Amino acid sequence: MAQRRTSGTNLFMTAPPISRRKRKRGKKPKGHQTVALQLLSLTLPPLIFSCFTVLCVVAMCRAVPINELLERASQHSDKLHSLSTTLTQELDSHFPPIGRVIMPRPAMCHTSSLQTPIDKDQALQVSESDLMSLARSLLQAWSDPLVLLSSSASALPHPAQSTIFNKIQEMQQYSKSLKDGLDVLSSKMGSSAQAITSLPYRGGTSLGQDKITKLINFNFLLSCLRRDSHKIDSFLKVLRCRAAKMQPEMC
Amino acid sequence: MVTADVSLSRVLPGMSPPEKPDKLGCRSPDKETFFCWWTPGSDGGLPTVHHLYYKTEGQENMRQCPDYHKAGSNSCFFSKTSIWVEYTVIVEASNALGNTSSDPLTFDLMNIVKPFAPENVTVVVNIEDSPHLTIQWHTPSNIDTKSGWVTLKNQLRVKPDKSKIWKNYASETQTHFTIYSIDLGVVYMVEVRCAIDNSWSEWSNTTFVKVPNFSRKDNSFWILVFSLCLIPLLAAMIILILKRKTVKKYILPPVPSPKIRGVDVQLLKSGQSEDVINAMLLNQRFPVMIPWKDQKEDYLIVSDKETSYLPLEKKKIFILPLAMALDSEVQSKETSEVDHFPKDSESSSEESSDKTESSQLLTKCSSANVLNDEKANQLKGVTEKIFQPFGICGYVDIPRHEHMQEADYSRVNEVNGDNILIMKKENIPHTLDTQGQEGSVPDNYSMVKEVNSDNVVFLEKHSESVNASFKAKGYIDWVNQKPKNLHMTGHSEMGVCPQLVGCEYVDTVPPPAVI
Repeated sequence: MAQRRTSGTNLFMTAPPISRRKRKRGKKPKGHQTVALQLLSLTLPPLIFSCFTVLCVVAMCRAVPINELLERASQHSDKLHSLSTTLTQELDSHFPPIGRVIMPRPAMCHTSSLQTPIDKDQALQVSESDLMSLARSLLQAWSDPLVLLSSSASALPHPAQSTIFNKIQEMQQYSKSLKDGLDVLSSKMGSSAQAITSLPYRGGTSLGQDKITKLINFNFLLSCLRRDSHKIDSFLKVLRCRAAKMQPEMC
Repeated sequence: MVTADVSLSRVLPGMSPPEKPDKLGCRSPDKETFFCWWTPGSDGGLPTVHHLYYKTEGQENMRQCPDYHKAGSNSCFFSKTSIWVEYTVIVEASNALGNTSSDPLTFDLMNIVKPFAPENVTVVVNIEDSPHLTIQWHTPSNIDTKSGWVTLKNQLRVKPDKSKIWKNYASETQTHFTIYSIDLGVVYMVEVRCAIDNSWSEWSNTTFVKVPNFSRKDNSFWILVFSLCLIPLLAAMIILILKRKTVKKYILPPVPSPKIRGVDVQLLKSGQSEDVINAMLLNQRFPVMIPWKDQKEDYLIVSDKETSYLPLEKKKIFILPLAMALDSEVQSKETSEVDHFPKDSESSSEESSDKTESSQLLTKCSSANVLNDEKANQLKGVTEKIFQPFGICGYVDIPRHEHMQEADYSRVNEVNGDNILIMKKENIPHTLDTQGQEGSVPDNYSMVKEVNSDNVVFLEKHSESVNASFKAKGYIDWVNQKPKNLHMTGHSEMGVCPQLVGCEYVDTVPPPAVI
């Protein structure tokens, strides 16, 4: 581009170049075919991509290994057990001594009718499906009593009532997520793993009328919950160790 | 230990049945076996034996402890246990006088699980790269973690010796740990514990470890590195300082400045006047000079006095400025600026004529309007140094020699046409030289009346009209009565109006060449 000189003595004053515009409107729109083609070309890649991702997700979902699922499940059950342990300890801090005397025995738990292994050797001989079934049955048996516990904890005559109530809520959440995880796991382990023994709670909708009764019944329920959560935790950890044969560090 | 048969001992007065055993406790370190202990009461002066009885949830009869020795005195070790069943344990102390049972203890195996503290805790201090502590330990023995029945969690805590706050770290299942946030020169205390199913053991025995202050080896290394790096730095600095001028030229290149052709700046600076003049004047071509319109008229009287008349071959131009206002000025100018010729002085004229050769003359007239009247009286007695004042002064540009080569004056006879001057043979009408100068005015000079164009010279025929024109003897007045603006460049004529008519100055300097 020739530059414009502003000096007066310069004889070669050139005017600025005229900008050239290339007409870009040479092409005419072609019609509906082109539009359709363009639409197709625009939407097809995302379609293909989404189909691909769905397939991949499905495939990958299947590919999640069981031991990882078991790892997550056992972490949930561990948390559940730890919550129940701390709850009983907190409740015991302000528990009337007479309550320990008249508290029902653990055999009175609504889940005691379920036959579970009673020592380590027996537990190690149970099949994985049975272990899973036991765990799921126990977990299922506590979904209603947890609701009762939660409603009772909101008005529990105890100094640590709010803490207890919060922990009960947490336990409900963990119980729910563990239940979902075990449903997925059992579906991978066969039909016998999916059998659930029904263990209905028959304690009614209230823990008692007076304060002592309430506290005693609350404590009793919590002790049953502690035992059952320990059972679930132990079974799942045994399962986890069995599934991770290639990784001994998981046990 | 089972005591001897009680019945054989003698009963003495003051003896009593044993107190009941107290503080029963049971513990399972591995979730498989457990042991119970008790604190015996006073034995009542008689040998007392203790028995432990237990019962599980579904049984009706009490069974005796299977092993009283493995766990030490006053303890019972259970190797075969059941979990998730309720145990009931009672200890009975019995002597010759009676039996006393302790309070029953009920428990579930899962409730009494409590592992022992980890063993063989080792702490290694490492300050090579960055100071850190590597802590290792062993799980308590006899714990079955391979089947998955038992899952251990680990925890450790560290604190400096003099601090009161422990810092906890969680290590899930691994039996080693590394801590990086430690300070040098501090003694640290390390403790480890483990847990089975959220039931924690006691803290292990404290391990003390001292972190050394610094590493001598590292220090010397860094000193060496530092000194090695310094040497090239110093060398670079020295080089920079020594060659600072070169560096300065490189970094800050000299700014190009405009140059005048033919002028050497260094020469000017070194400054001999001749060289300066040569540089400035000879080699330059001056721009067109605009005549001073507003200035007063000036006269240029070129005189060629007889006495000072020089031979033709000299071809010189004598130019005298008129209307010099003051004597002093004249005197000063005479020597410095102007080359002028006194009328009656040969020497001076010669002298000044010499000067004319050299350069162009720039005469300067001072305004002498005021002095016009004064000097008018002096017309008659004009000496060398007194010049006839004219009312009007101005610049007189003296033409170059080449242009004024017609130094040889000749008489003009006729004027034909534009530029034909027919030389006269006879005397020219006398010039009106009323100034009364000494010497005679040559008759063959004529006054120029008018300069019309470039080459036309109108000669004055009458002399009376030029009375007022004060002409010194020997001067030729170039008269221009036309009050036109003669910005003529490159002309060799000059017009001076003596009658105070608007006159113009005519530049006789040839036009400078445009550079």
